[in-house]
Amino acid sequence: MSGLTLDRTALPGGTGVQALRQQAVDIFSRTGLPGRRDEDWKYTDISRITATLGETWWQPAPTETAEPEISDIEGLDAYRIVFVRGAFQLEASNLPDSIQLKPLSALLAEDVDATSHGLLKLDESAPLFNGFLAANSALASDGLCACIGENTKLDKPLYVLHIGNSTAHLLNGIMLGQGAEATLIEHFVGGDGSAAGLSNIATYIRLQDHASLSHYRLQMESAKQFHIGRVDVQQARNSRYTLHAVELGGSLSRADIVVKLAEAGASCELNGLFVAAGRQHIDHHTRIDHAAPHCSSREQYRTVLDGRAHGVFNGKIVVAEGAVKTDSAQSNGNLLLSKQAEIDTKPELEIYNDDVKCAHGVTVGQLDETQLFYLKSRGLSETEARQLLTFAFADEILVAMGHNAIRRFIEKAAFAKLPNMADLDGLLG
Amino acid sequence: MSFVVKKGFDDMLKIENLHASVAGKEILKGINLTIGAGEVHAIMGPNGSGKSTLSNVIAGRDGYEVTAGSVTYHGKDLLAMKPEERAWEGVFLAFQYPVEIPGVNNTYMLKAGVNAKRKHQGEQELDAMEFMQLIRKKAKLVELDQSFLSRGVNEGFSGGEKKRNEIFQMAVLEPSLALLDETDSGLDIDALRVVAQGVNALRNAERSIVMVTHYQRLLDYIEPDFVHVLADGKILKSGDKNLALELEERGYDWVKDEAAIAASDQGQAA
Repeated sequence: MSGLTLDRTALPGGTGVQALRQQAVDIFSRTGLPGRRDEDWKYTDISRITATLGETWWQPAPTETAEPEISDIEGLDAYRIVFVRGAFQLEASNLPDSIQLKPLSALLAEDVDATSHGLLKLDESAPLFNGFLAANSALASDGLCACIGENTKLDKPLYVLHIGNSTAHLLNGIMLGQGAEATLIEHFVGGDGSAAGLSNIATYIRLQDHASLSHYRLQMESAKQFHIGRVDVQQARNSRYTLHAVELGGSLSRADIVVKLAEAGASCELNGLFVAAGRQHIDHHTRIDHAAPHCSSREQYRTVLDGRAHGVFNGKIVVAEGAVKTDSAQSNGNLLLSKQAEIDTKPELEIYNDDVKCAHGVTVGQLDETQLFYLKSRGLSETEARQLLTFAFADEILVAMGHNAIRRFIEKAAFAKLPNMADLDGLLG
Repeated sequence: MSFVVKKGFDDMLKIENLHASVAGKEILKGINLTIGAGEVHAIMGPNGSGKSTLSNVIAGRDGYEVTAGSVTYHGKDLLAMKPEERAWEGVFLAFQYPVEIPGVNNTYMLKAGVNAKRKHQGEQELDAMEFMQLIRKKAKLVELDQSFLSRGVNEGFSGGEKKRNEIFQMAVLEPSLALLDETDSGLDIDALRVVAQGVNALRNAERSIVMVTHYQRLLDYIEPDFVHVLADGKILKSGDKNLALELEERGYDWVKDEAAIAASDQGQAA
């Protein structure tokens, strides 16, 4: 892979930006792509990506625009920011004027902004750092850069729609000033699913004191697409971060969620749901760093795996020596609907002081026979009973979503994937 | 030899020589029992006698293997039906240990159950409005707080609330054969009274009720037409409500002794 080079003419940014891109290329030349010998990639074999795409995974996205069909989430009233095959679409977007917001491509083209340079700079010592992240900095063609000013409460969610089906390296930077509040929805969709590529998406989030962000990350790529994601969050004093990560699409999808509770009183909540079937492979590695006292973290992941789907969940929580009064809880439930489905799950706690409260639990299983019988004895058919219990299992994650339009949308999309789950009207009514 | 309670065309349930095993161990060893429409039967017996096994076999639970005999319900072979078909045909089991199902809404479950049954019987399904009217009315019957309707099935309910929810479900589903499996266990006296009131309100000429219980206590509130003693997988003695009082006073051993003597007499006669 070390032979990969940059086609500078195809990427936004002047000489300053190009120098940073070259640094990223150099880092990539040393690290390469992760392999199964890496502990963090033991269960996820990315050779599936390179075998399918060859070296085209590296190529920057084409810059020409096309007109794919853009459909909104029913009932969602939001500011819309659209990217098609890695390029910002002004026409299709509806931007707020109350905040600073720019596509990354515009920011990089200016090449004077310290922010854009900061976004491309890599920290190789960051948790779960890997070659894809280096490639992202080297090749980022576009993304959303938004700065929500002090005490600004954004009236509507930012809905970032990425339409893929090709290789795209996108980099988003979201900053919330002191006391700011916002909702961010990242939605990844494919087109007709005929083509395959790699969506390599990095989203950097910085929350100042008392800022609060609700983040929805909805991965619904088309069936052949590969998705590599990273969410990197740093939280200042008393800030709050809530993630709702939903994994439905793609052939192979991996996301690294890295949250640093850097100052006292910060709290985060990570809710994750995988619904996978066929030969889908879905992997989330999460890492929460309790680096300061009086921080809390809540993490709840559920996976529903059918067919030959393979799920991986690794939840690492590190409590630093000085992070006293840490309050942390993690749970991971896995429902295997078929004998061929597989889950590899691993909670990892590293605690370096005594004054903490940390709970964690994992379950792996099938539907409960006693519950099934109970429902059938009340007149529900076997199919209905299974459907209802599966729904209930996953819905425990979805009820945490404050946004009803999204919840409804995800419920429908998630259960449309599973056999005998088509008729949900009564259930969702 | 069997004690035939009632004979005739109005037999609702006819159990003949029923043998059933759990995990290869025979629990029911030849049950004979006939239940007519509108009758209330109490099946009493010591622990481990097979009382709960009998209810579960009738309701169709997995893990209970019927090795011999038959169960006929309204003239049909009950054992050939799936559990949900039995429910559609009007069989209802109030569980000894009602299971908690977080995330499955109590009302949703009942609406699905009621409408599946109505569909099976060729009736029009209830719409949301009609259904809500129905369940509000029935909730009053067992003094079940309205807030329980929208909660997950039995989720976080106390023991007494779970049992009340069972009777509430019975009221909503309007079965023709209701099996109450140790419905009195774990109830304090007030809850027992409420549950019994609910059951009594549901008594009618078409609905038969089988109460499986360990104690006479429940029968003070719900007066049975017939009482049977089940021990070691067989019905050893049947009688009216006075039998229950006698059992309360004398325990079960004398019935077993009597049965043993009768069996040996029979053996000698043969």
